Amino acid sequence: MKHILKGALAVSAIALSLTMAQAQDLAPLNSDSEPDRMDWSELDAKFGALPPPAAGTKVGGVSKTLTNEYWRSLGEGYQNVATKLGVELVYQAAQNEGDQLGQLSIAENLISQGFNALLFSPQSDANLVPALEAAKAAGIPVLNVNDAVIPSAEHYVGNVQKGNGVNVANWFITNRPDGGKVAVIEGQPGVYAAGQRTAGFTETINAAGKFEVVASVPANWSREEAFNAAATILQQYPDLIGFYANNDGMALGVVEAVKAAGKAETVAVFGTDGVSDAYAAIRAGDLTGTVDSFPVLTGEIAMEVSLRLMAGQPLPRVVATPQALITKDNVETYATTDMAALRAALLAK
Amino acid sequence: MKTVFSRIRFRDAGTLLGLILISAVFAAQSDTFLTTPNLVNILQQSTINACIALGMTLVIISGGIDLSVGPVAALSAVLGAAMLVAGVPVPLAIAGALAVGVACGFVNGALITWGGLQPFIVTLGGLSLYRALALIYTGGTPIFGLPDEFRALTNGTLMGIPNPVIVVGVLAIAAWVILNKTPLGEYFMAVGGNPEAARIAGVPVTLTKMAAYMISGLMAAVAAMILIGRLGAAEPTMGTLWELDAIAAAAIGGASLMGGRGSIPGTLIGCIILGTLRNGLTLMNVQAFYQLLATGIIIIVAMLIDKVTSGKEG
Repeated sequence: MKHILKGALAVSAIALSLTMAQAQDLAPLNSDSEPDRMDWSELDAKFGALPPPAAGTKVGGVSKTLTNEYWRSLGEGYQNVATKLGVELVYQAAQNEGDQLGQLSIAENLISQGFNALLFSPQSDANLVPALEAAKAAGIPVLNVNDAVIPSAEHYVGNVQKGNGVNVANWFITNRPDGGKVAVIEGQPGVYAAGQRTAGFTETINAAGKFEVVASVPANWSREEAFNAAATILQQYPDLIGFYANNDGMALGVVEAVKAAGKAETVAVFGTDGVSDAYAAIRAGDLTGTVDSFPVLTGEIAMEVSLRLMAGQPLPRVVATPQALITKDNVETYATTDMAALRAALLAK
Repeated sequence: MKTVFSRIRFRDAGTLLGLILISAVFAAQSDTFLTTPNLVNILQQSTINACIALGMTLVIISGGIDLSVGPVAALSAVLGAAMLVAGVPVPLAIAGALAVGVACGFVNGALITWGGLQPFIVTLGGLSLYRALALIYTGGTPIFGLPDEFRALTNGTLMGIPNPVIVVGVLAIAAWVILNKTPLGEYFMAVGGNPEAARIAGVPVTLTKMAAYMISGLMAAVAAMILIGRLGAAEPTMGTLWELDAIAAAAIGGASLMGGRGSIPGTLIGCIILGTLRNGLTLMNVQAFYQLLATGIIIIVAMLIDKVTSGKEG
């Protein structure tokens, strides 16, 4: 009953927003805590197999930048599904992660071209708002795929950012039962993903009681800044037992600092994202672990969700995509490029 | 004096010809390109850069450079948005935000003229300084929830033309009048062309430079208002690399970074060329890396043509 009510509310909200071309009717989205949500693994069970798309279906993807492996991989995921089902895909990206206006132009230019759905990965929470509103007015469904969260987005597919930090904290709680001092290397201040990852880690590990977060400093996603910050922290707290970095680039900087300080044996280092360099470093024994959010698989799921929406399925506002803690013990299981095998491994978890 | 004006007009015709050529190529490649909504789209998307580039053109003509425009825009955006969200009446909040822009321009100008520092270095410092202030003020998070009353100003249209395009059009005419019909315009040209000669001829060099940077700050604030109206939010990180787009547009339009030369119509066409390139290449589904390549080639080709034609005339 509650669900039907919610659905009716959502439909009326959409109708209202169409007539008024306004986005104020939905509560501002918080992708981690939005109650109207489901996990990707329940899609088939709740809504059945993926409905085949109509002939000539066109989907447009607007991504952050192709200079970052993560966004290239996400596009690969879109393309996998598009190729398999005969959907035409246009995947465009801005020139760099700071290019907010350029990305907006790209998104606006795509709207005029008759796409059946658009997948947006915005540079910031606000920069694609006009495009979202224009698409809404044109009746084109828009999916906000990962990272920055547009508050007025009706559909979001992505990672539970807080879960990344929680996963790492749980590793420490299980594997370092005596507790100790830990430190966090944060991403850019004010960025949603960075704040949530840090909060997930800090809250979980503090709740365990035996740990102390002695430092939590921003390194702005930069490997070099992370190296410097970690070197300083290690000097100040020689008995530190671990670092959690908000992304893999920074974690790899921390690894170098830990090695330079001769503490590779005693200090565990974790990253987030699961880029290929991180996998290599885990195999080499340099990086203790990372939380992989499987960008290719995320891309596939986002594309599938857009096809389900086109088929009229009443999906919840947020569909959470998979993530898993990768360490030396399971690195080979998750390193596979065979997406079917990866799905099976994640579903079995 | 007459030859200078005829030369600039000749140069503007060249820039326009470039725009027509580029448009013809895109029109042949994409059915969507020449539709009215798409052309309006291009103008709309070019407004922010045009706004910044108009101020930049005046600064460049006066022999300077303003690298701080993006962060100035960000600072006036967050302060303006904070006022709007706090319930300050819309005209007052806009005036406040524009005053922030002018004040930043004043600081730049004061350091350059009275402080005797180089424009490149001063505004490079400003680039970090104003960005830092915007970040510190907001704690890094965007300000959402701008009133609809304010957003209606930037999202409305007049006879099918978006309001921002009209605003920038009016500002461009104003800039043209200042540059070509007032003593201040002659001062800009004189100070940029030969500061020593200008000083001896009795041109108020300090005030002229001051005016250029304050206008540039004002235009950055106007661009900020247009953008936050469209986005419905102000972000302290907005405006990254705006200075380079504006310099590129001014250069394509015929401004000389040595000072003393530049054109308002040329800069506007330069902005539209950059906007058209981005629009057309997206319609043709050309990837970002190649779009960057095309932009670079256009700038260099424009400079080469500039060199060749000025050689002929000189």
